[in-house]
Amino acid sequence: MANHKEVIYGLYNDETELLRAVKAAKNQHIEIMDVYSPFPVHGLDPILGLEESRLHIAGFVYGMLGTLTAFLGMTWIFTKDWPVIFGGKPYWSVPAFIPITFELTVLFASIGMVVTFYIVSGMGPGITNNYLDDRITDDKFCIAFDKSEVSESDAQAFFQSTGAAEVNVKHIN
Amino acid sequence: MNQFNISPGLRTTLFVLMGLGLLSMGITWFGDDELHTRFWSNFLHNSVFFTGIAVMASFFMAASILAYAGWYVAFKRVFEAVTAFLPFGLGLMVILGIGNYMHLHHLYHWTDAAVVAEDPILKGKAGFLNPNFYMIATVLFVGIYIFLINKIKGLSRSEDNAASDKDFSIHKKQRFFAAILLPVIGFTSVILIWQWIMSVDSHWYSTMFAWYCLASFFVSLMCFVALTLIYLRGNGYYQNLSQHHMHDVGKFIFAFSIFWTYLWFSQFMLIWYANVGEETIYFKERYDNYPVLFFANIAVNFVLPFIVLLRNDTKYKTGTLSFVAIIVFLFHWIDYFLMIKPGVLHTAHEVMGHGGEEAHGAAEHGAEAAGHAVEAVAAHGEHASNIVSGFTIPGLLELGTMLGFLGLFAFIVLNALSKAPLTPKNDPYLEESLHHHV
Repeated sequence: MANHKEVIYGLYNDETELLRAVKAAKNQHIEIMDVYSPFPVHGLDPILGLEESRLHIAGFVYGMLGTLTAFLGMTWIFTKDWPVIFGGKPYWSVPAFIPITFELTVLFASIGMVVTFYIVSGMGPGITNNYLDDRITDDKFCIAFDKSEVSESDAQAFFQSTGAAEVNVKHIN
Repeated sequence: MNQFNISPGLRTTLFVLMGLGLLSMGITWFGDDELHTRFWSNFLHNSVFFTGIAVMASFFMAASILAYAGWYVAFKRVFEAVTAFLPFGLGLMVILGIGNYMHLHHLYHWTDAAVVAEDPILKGKAGFLNPNFYMIATVLFVGIYIFLINKIKGLSRSEDNAASDKDFSIHKKQRFFAAILLPVIGFTSVILIWQWIMSVDSHWYSTMFAWYCLASFFVSLMCFVALTLIYLRGNGYYQNLSQHHMHDVGKFIFAFSIFWTYLWFSQFMLIWYANVGEETIYFKERYDNYPVLFFANIAVNFVLPFIVLLRNDTKYKTGTLSFVAIIVFLFHWIDYFLMIKPGVLHTAHEVMGHGGEEAHGAAEHGAEAAGHAVEAVAAHGEHASNIVSGFTIPGLLELGTMLGFLGLFAFIVLNALSKAPLTPKNDPYLEESLHHHV
C-alpha cells in the first residue's frame, strides 16, 4: 500500500504522564493518531473516546455455539448414532451432559475470543508488525501524531509541555 | 446526608409488615394440626433464612477486611447493620432449641427419644443430633460470631474519631479479629446448617449441603444489600457512591448465583448418578411432590440472574438490578422452603402415625395428598392436584410470615444503620472506595 505517512511520536515513562498528556491533547484539540502502551491503561478508552469493545458479544456467540455443539452432539451420539446404557440411565440423560456442555461452552468462548482478538488486532504466528518503537512493548508509553495533520513545531511544543522523555519522527507504510 | 433516619412512612410500613407477620403466624397457629407443623416449619424456615443472611454479612466483612478490599468501605455500614440481626436470630434459634427439649414442635425427628431408640440410623447419629448439641452449638457459635463482629464494628466506629486516615492501628486490630472470625464462621456455620436445616431430613445427609446453603445465604445477602442501597440512594443518601459500586454488588449477585447453581447441580448430579436409595430419596421426594418449585428454583435462581445480569449495564441500572434482586431474594427464600418443608412434613406424618391416632391435620392431609397423587392419577385417569398450599407450595400465610420476618429484619438493620454515620471516616481504604472505578 502506498499509504506513506510521516509520524511524530513522543515517548513517556509512566502511564499517569500518558493519561495527563492525552487529556491535554484533547483539551488543545490536537488530533491524536494513535496511542501505544505495553499494557491496558485504566481510564484511557473514555478519554480517547473509543467505543466499547464488541469482543464480549463475540464471546457470547462462541459460548452459545459451544453449548449447542456439546448438547446437540451428545444428544445425537447417545440417542441416534451409538446408544449405550450407562448405569441404567436413559439414553438421553441430560444431567450427565451438563458438565461437558459447560466445558465446551468455556472452551469455545475462550478460544474463539483469543482467535478473534488476534485477527482483529492483525496479529498472529508468522505476521510481523512494524512498531514505531520497540520499547512500546516494554516500558514506554507513546502518543503518535500524523505529521500531515499536526505540524512538527506544534507537536514538539506539546511533547515539551507534557514532559515526554523522547520525541522521534518516523516514516511508516 | 451522612446520617440516616428511618422516615415515618418507612417505619409505618415496616411495622405494618411485622403486624401482618404476627397476624399470619396467629392464623397459622389456630388453623393448624395438633402438632402446629405449619406454624413451626414457617418459624424455622424464616428464622434460619434471616439469621443466615446476618451470618453471611459477618463472613463478608471478615473476608473483605482480610482481602484488603477497598471498594465496599464507603458503604460498609450497611453490612455492619445487617450483622445487627445476629442477636435476634440467636434468640429465634434458641426458642427452637428450647422447643427441642419441651417438645413444643416436632420439626426434628431425632428429638423423639422413643423413635431414636429403635432407629439404628438415628441412634448412630445421636451423639451429634441431640437437643444439647443443638442448643450448645447454636448459643456458642452464634455467640462467638456476635462477640467478634461486635469487636470489628466497635473498632470501625472508633475509627471515625481517629486522628487521621494515616493511622493504621485500628485497621490492624480489625484484621486481627477478622482473621479469627473468618475460619470460625467457615467451619462452625457448616455445623449449624447441619443441625438447623439438614437434620429435618434426619436420615439423609450430603457433604455439599452446607456450602449450598451458604451460597444461597450469600446471594440473598447481596440482593438485600443491593435493594437497601437502591432505596437509600433514591432517598438522597449515599450520593458519594457511583454506579461502579452498584455494578460490583450486581456482580456479586451474578457470580454467587452461578456458584449456587454449581453447588446445587453438583449435589444433584452425584446423587442422581450414584442412585443410592438413601440419598436419592431427598430429590425423589422433591421431584415427585414439589415439581413446580423444584424446577422453578433452579430456573429462576440461575437463569434469571445469568441472562439479565450478564451485560454490564444491567448491573447498574436501578430498575433491572432491583427487579432481579427482589425475585432472586424471594426464590432463595423458596429454596429454603424446599429444603425444610418436605422433611418436616414427613416427620409430622410419622409422629402422628406413631401415636395411632386418627390424624386429620393439615400436615397429614398434605403428606397423604402428595403421597397418593400418583395412585390417584392412575385410578382416575386424570390429573389429580397434589398441591397443598402451605405444604407443597408457599401459601398466603407463608408469604405473610415471610413479610413479617422481613419487616423485623429490615427494621433492625435500618435502625442499626441510623446509629452511625453512613460513610465511615478515617478508614485507610475510604479514599480508594470513593474513587472506585471499574
